Amino acid sequence: MIGADAIPVWVLTGFLGSGKTTMLGHLLRQPEFSRTAVIINEFGEIGLDHELIESSQDSVIALTTGCLCCKVRSDLTQTLQDLLRRRDAGACTPFDRVVIETSGLADPAPILHALMTDADTAGRLVLGGVATTVDAVTGGVTLEREAISRKQIAVADRIVLSKLDLAGGAETPLLARLAALNPGAPVLQADHGRIEAKNLFGAGVHDPKIGPFATEPVAIDSWLAQAPDHAHEHHDAEIRSFTIVRTEPIQAVALTLFLEALAEHCGADLLRLKGIVNIAESPQHPAVIHGVQHVFHPPAWLERWPSADRTSRMVFITRHVPRRWVEVLLEAIGAEVADVQALAQNRGG
Amino acid sequence: MSGAPIDLAYELVRLSLAAWRVTGNVEHASDGAIVIAGKKAIRIEPGPRNTMFRWLVTIDGRKRGAISLLAVLRQVRQALDPGYAACGVRVAVAPLVPS
Repeated sequence: MIGADAIPVWVLTGFLGSGKTTMLGHLLRQPEFSRTAVIINEFGEIGLDHELIESSQDSVIALTTGCLCCKVRSDLTQTLQDLLRRRDAGACTPFDRVVIETSGLADPAPILHALMTDADTAGRLVLGGVATTVDAVTGGVTLEREAISRKQIAVADRIVLSKLDLAGGAETPLLARLAALNPGAPVLQADHGRIEAKNLFGAGVHDPKIGPFATEPVAIDSWLAQAPDHAHEHHDAEIRSFTIVRTEPIQAVALTLFLEALAEHCGADLLRLKGIVNIAESPQHPAVIHGVQHVFHPPAWLERWPSADRTSRMVFITRHVPRRWVEVLLEAIGAEVADVQALAQNRGG
Repeated sequence: MSGAPIDLAYELVRLSLAAWRVTGNVEHASDGAIVIAGKKAIRIEPGPRNTMFRWLVTIDGRKRGAISLLAVLRQVRQALDPGYAACGVRVAVAPLVPS
């Protein structure tokens, strides 16, 4: 189980000019956000965004050495380690949440990988989720032109529409486009950058304080609830999402092999995988799985099921990965594991 | 090995070619083998009883054992997809069940 004292790290991303910094500025003024450390990444030699945020906090850090996704291993992990050291030494606000604002051009995937795999911060920091801002006026054009903006949407747990007051109702096609790219992420609205912190960060699947690892695991259903109906498949020209549902429990080793095969054969085309799985060996404690490209977060074990529904549900957001291949892969691995177990039992008995 | 894994293996290999965007036809032979005809002829058949290999994969006349379907997929893809670099490191999910 993930420790209740693990600090959730949220990634705030979105294309250039989509309103990340404005929203962050408003969030920093809210009491619910007071115990939050903020890391701001700016692309360029001189950082400005952190100057635009009015805050008396001593835990706002600007990273101006380049785009985070390119230098994430060195800069971000070092910064997070320094933050934890300062917190331990009482040298900064005793934060219980970290928010990383990426540059508008950043690919969020390497940042998520770093958060999920850094051995030095593992156990103390846990990925809380990804919030992606979208300009309601220019977002549609940006999504057409910029592949990185589509990826920012695809990996989001929350999408925040900004500048709605300027859109004049033109956001409707954009909403359809967002739903096609990532039907699992709720779309929130920021009014001139204002949004309630609890709405934005209130259902982090990996947030041990407010997510499913807390005493109320209902949040996991929220995390998965907006996933596409498993009878339907939503697709963009490149990116598609689908849900795999299994009513029978899955053997732990079969799940391991399945995730390994996905990582090996899909790699960068597996933009996001999240799911709740009924493990045969652990029927009372479902596993929560979470992957970005070839990197998978260690499964988290819930104290109990969030509802009476005991089905395994896995939401995939992929590029060029056929749904049927994923289904058969899981089925074939499960059958092989069952076959091996049956043979072993016959030999033993 | 029961018939179910063989049928699923056939279906999985067929779908895998499409997923990898590799041209080829997959045929289910009468002796239970799977044959891929395309850039290369590859034969996949159940391994002999009482060995650790569940499958035997023959590529360019060379027969090699495979301990699982994932090992079969790895060998087939290595033979057909020049852009594929198999990962030599296996990482297990830990813990497999809650401790």
